[in-house]
Amino acid sequence: MERDDIFQSLEDAIIEGDTVKATETAKSAVESGIDPLDAVENGMAKGMEVVGERFECGDAYLPELMMAGDAFKAAMEILKPELLRQKKATKEVGTVLLASVKGDLHSIGKNILANVLETHGFTVIDAGVDNSALQIIEEAQKSSAQAIGLSALMTTTMPAQREVIEALKELGLREQYRVIVGGGPVTQEWADEIEADGYGQNAVQAVELLKQLVA
Amino acid sequence: MLDFLDICERAETGPLMTERDFEMKMLIPGLREVVREYGIDYDKTVPVPADDDLADRVYEAAVDFLARVGVYCQDTNRVIEFTEQEILETVTAAPGECFTGEGKDASVFRVRQVDSSIPARCHVNWGTVHASREMAIDIMSANVSHPEAKGISISAVNKTVRGRQVTAGSPLEMYAGIRAIKTARDALQRAGRPGLPMMNLVPAAATAVTTIGASGPQFGARPTDGWIIGIISENKLDYGAMNKVAYLLNWGANVGAQGAPSLGGYAGGPAGTSVVNTAYFLLGLVGMKADYHLCFPIHFRHGCCSTRDVLWVVATSSQAGSRNVPIPVIWLGYMAAGVNTKMYFYEAAAYLLTACTSGADAVKMPTPAKGVKMDASTPMETKFGIEVVKAAAKLNRSEANVIVKKLLEMYESDIPNAPVGDRYQDCYDVETAKPGEAYLRLYDEAKSELSAIGIPFE
Repeated sequence: MERDDIFQSLEDAIIEGDTVKATETAKSAVESGIDPLDAVENGMAKGMEVVGERFECGDAYLPELMMAGDAFKAAMEILKPELLRQKKATKEVGTVLLASVKGDLHSIGKNILANVLETHGFTVIDAGVDNSALQIIEEAQKSSAQAIGLSALMTTTMPAQREVIEALKELGLREQYRVIVGGGPVTQEWADEIEADGYGQNAVQAVELLKQLVA
Repeated sequence: MLDFLDICERAETGPLMTERDFEMKMLIPGLREVVREYGIDYDKTVPVPADDDLADRVYEAAVDFLARVGVYCQDTNRVIEFTEQEILETVTAAPGECFTGEGKDASVFRVRQVDSSIPARCHVNWGTVHASREMAIDIMSANVSHPEAKGISISAVNKTVRGRQVTAGSPLEMYAGIRAIKTARDALQRAGRPGLPMMNLVPAAATAVTTIGASGPQFGARPTDGWIIGIISENKLDYGAMNKVAYLLNWGANVGAQGAPSLGGYAGGPAGTSVVNTAYFLLGLVGMKADYHLCFPIHFRHGCCSTRDVLWVVATSSQAGSRNVPIPVIWLGYMAAGVNTKMYFYEAAAYLLTACTSGADAVKMPTPAKGVKMDASTPMETKFGIEVVKAAAKLNRSEANVIVKKLLEMYESDIPNAPVGDRYQDCYDVETAKPGEAYLRLYDEAKSELSAIGIPFE
């Protein structure tokens, strides 16, 4: 395969969410001596961009995002050793820790955001659901996240978003993290009241917000 | 036939896998396959299809999907599997009705047909949080004063207990849950309908312990009320939900399965969401031993049920269920716009016409402002909803489709920036519990507009 064909094939593999094709094409890229960073930026990242744009237009949904993300990771498994060997680094946009707060077992909004963030080049650490304030802070410190996204889908779990911000203050860590909040009953007024750094009404808005706050 | 202990056993013995593997290797590919194999296609030009063959294919796809994928138990990381035969046996044996309420307010909640001239059962009030107990009682008692009201979703009262904010799983949640039931029972007595079933127990309870604890008969709950137990998006259960089922089955109380597939989430687009929503009727019957079902397919980005694609999901999955799955279903719609806005009336009319002509057994009066604003509901929305339900019984799906398309033109583009509207105290006289002049005027104007586009109000 020619160099441009490999880039195109990588882009297509991501768009189609085809992990096998992504793996095989990444192997071809390595075997052909293509700069792994070029393969990421001119092939895979473009595919993620297309899927992200389709999602924002309503032409793609969570499954397409998840499959694209998996295909991206599969190709990276092949390219990563080459990137390390050649001491090249992919462009770091930022690291975001996402968590559903204590008592909240809902994950779908958080998962959509995680996948959209990945299509925009963010590194996402997903702490899952039902996290106490201290668990979230511990995860944020472990992962060197710059931002924390807190999801709450119930009025009775919204106060747990405040608890995280208050705990950060008590521990003297508030300035280290940008904290954004979201979820069905959450509003800009609530975000202001608990002194969050921002509110994302949906995943697309949250990504734009995080780009301003972190990237 | 499977009983609930069989389900519990399978939760401990089914195939072990991570949640991510369940999503990526079972749920998403399984759904894509059935959507393709059964030829389920979304047509945005027909929000309310009158296509029985499509409805039946959605049902067949749902049976196949549930048999292929099963349901994931988050606590054991195992898949609870069902065979197609087990699903079909359960469907065949389902009674198609359940018994609700007591005394003069006792009624049989039964399934209804597509294009039926019998109005859908009206389910009133909302789980909205109200600022005070008195206000909640005024609103609830006004809503149940309509003789058409056959069940109620009770409100939550305030977000605090003795000044402390109620948080999920805390003891304060138990206090708040008990308070909500006692307050609602008072409201029903004040309205002269003490036996009306409360079908959303327990509002604002995030945990099973609060649901079960607050449901003690000493606080006012009765087995002829109904408890809604949520299926986790998508195709997942946990021990919290299963504990509630176990408790209610032991008590002999009405189990309501709740499915709220997110259009744009794991279910993908409208076709997949319609199949999943229909599969949830089946999952309720076979996996949760449900007596009734409550559902609200919802748009992942807009958080409402009045978008064109969600209306198509409501229409097709309601028709699929009505024609094939004998479990009574309450259809709940979250509207983007709020109280005292014309847009609310447009959205609510579109939702109710879609659901009712598509065979909805019961409809909950559409919830204003996505249900997230405190005090954002009034008895006027109930009055309107009941009038539309009666009008819908004079229409068939094709006629509803024409009107719904006109309605969509009136509000569709405003959904992303829908007006959040007023609170009860902004448009009602709180002392007399009567609507203000301005709201009455807006109501009349909206109804005139809706009559003009073909809604046959009485």
